[in-house]
Amino acid sequence: MHSLRLVASLLLVALLALGLGGCSRSSAQSKKLNVSGSTTILPIAEESADAFKAIHPDVTVLVSGLGSSAGIEAVSAGTAEIGTSSRELAPEEKSNGLVDFPIAYDGIAVIVNPDNPVSGLSLQQLRDIFSGKIKNWSQVGGGNLTIDLVNRDDGSGTRDAFQKLVMKDAKFDPAATVLPGTGQVRDVVARAPGAIGYISLGFVKPRFSSVSVKALAVDGIVPSEKSVADKTYPVGRVLHFFTKGKPTGLTKEFVDFVLSGKIQKGVVVDAGFIPIAEGGAR
Amino acid sequence: MTDKVTTPRTHGALQLVSRATYVREWLLAALFFICAFFFVLAVGLIFIFVGVKAWPIVTDYGIFKFIGGTVWSSASNSYGILPLIAGSFLVTLGALALGTPLAVGTAVFLSDVASDRVRSFVRPAVELLAGIPSVVYGFFGIVLLRAVVAKFTGTLGFGAFTAWIVLAIMIVPTIAALSEDALRSVPEGIREASYAMGATQWQTIYKVVVPAAKIGIVDAIILGMGRAIGETMAVLMVVGNAPVFPRGIFAPLSTMTTQIVMDMPYAVGLHRTALFAIAAMLFLFSMLLVASVRLLSRMRG
Repeated sequence: MHSLRLVASLLLVALLALGLGGCSRSSAQSKKLNVSGSTTILPIAEESADAFKAIHPDVTVLVSGLGSSAGIEAVSAGTAEIGTSSRELAPEEKSNGLVDFPIAYDGIAVIVNPDNPVSGLSLQQLRDIFSGKIKNWSQVGGGNLTIDLVNRDDGSGTRDAFQKLVMKDAKFDPAATVLPGTGQVRDVVARAPGAIGYISLGFVKPRFSSVSVKALAVDGIVPSEKSVADKTYPVGRVLHFFTKGKPTGLTKEFVDFVLSGKIQKGVVVDAGFIPIAEGGAR
Repeated sequence: MTDKVTTPRTHGALQLVSRATYVREWLLAALFFICAFFFVLAVGLIFIFVGVKAWPIVTDYGIFKFIGGTVWSSASNSYGILPLIAGSFLVTLGALALGTPLAVGTAVFLSDVASDRVRSFVRPAVELLAGIPSVVYGFFGIVLLRAVVAKFTGTLGFGAFTAWIVLAIMIVPTIAALSEDALRSVPEGIREASYAMGATQWQTIYKVVVPAAKIGIVDAIILGMGRAIGETMAVLMVVGNAPVFPRGIFAPLSTMTTQIVMDMPYAVGLHRTALFAIAAMLFLFSMLLVASVRLLSRMRG
């Protein structure tokens, strides 16, 4: 009787050991780099990763875009070596020992359907539209059409920047549609006549998409690489890489690579962003 | 472990099985016990984990402020889930209203109307629907259905209505398969008796067979509801994710499950606790649904 119980419990122990053994293996140092965060920075990160892998074939660079807050969260928790963010650190995030590497400038373009006759809005009008005060395009010189707000999710760096630069103290209309990625906002606005949303300037031109959107002038300034770089366009911001502590080894190599002229003048410009050297200190 | 295997069976002085057989059967019984108990353990652990993580919502935030609150906004540290509950129920009940007649109709067709040949391709088709990953439904919903709804209503196309259609298609296989089982378990003799009294096929179906299988069908609908209320990916892609009370079926809204997914990547502190509390609420709902199914099965048995 006892020996049988013993066999059964041994079986259980063996099963448990098998289960635990599976977990404890992954800590070994492999040549893997995890770059995670902002969906805005995704094109820069992905193309840089590809170029980096071409030079270092033994290195795997994993790039993912879950939003800026998720990136900062990941690098703080140590699940990613580099967190990408399209916003500054929040006060409570500053104590995590993150080191900031500005990698590019970006403008946030307010986009509407190409059929929309409105071509520009003031900051005040934008604030009233996105807080839900203005509900019809006819109130800002457009046709008699309901304004359909498309907002980003709370974890988005683009939303955070838009809040700071455009909304100031005003609150976003909570009844607005919330979409979790830049690509989705672009796609929905491109197809809905009354829609308005905001995306990074780099995504306005139909580079990956067959449908187009129209970027509005803000306070009379058309968003372009030039107007963002010389800071006349009012809705501009800095894109960041964050590392936990001073980067070393592979992480440092990758950061330096992205800041190098090759990526800055190539990938960054191609993706519609402004190289960090050209904007000066903001 | 049961008595049957704890001692070798004997008949007078005669031992019926060898020691080896007895040992083998004991081991098998132990193995099955471990298999079954594993899930009891899993459910218990999940319940405890979610409960512990969610508990600060009671002590630090207030359960009534949580369940009765109308504003969900991490920016202002306000976590009221009433709009999310409303959204979940609007989406679920609408999907059931659309899906149930479709599913029960399909079940009646498969059990009482269709010929063997027709059944042989209708049933696999319905079963296939159950195997499609929900993200595929969501993708279909956002790319195709949303655009159609947007065109006809002049809105963005996000909202309860789009979710209803996507969810209705998703829950049909569950409800249809279980309803068909219930209809098939109605004894053939009852149908024959009905025909013998001169009833037509249609009269037999809706006066005799369906009422006889009623509890089984309600059972199926409740399980379908469980699937609908817990569905996340497909709903996330089509509801528009605005955490406000639904202002109509073509306006964006948010549900309990979708809010968890939207906020999970970056939630910390009380925000994260609130997400666990939503998970606990969903756990309670599903417990309630399972309990009602068990109760109904007892009535049927």
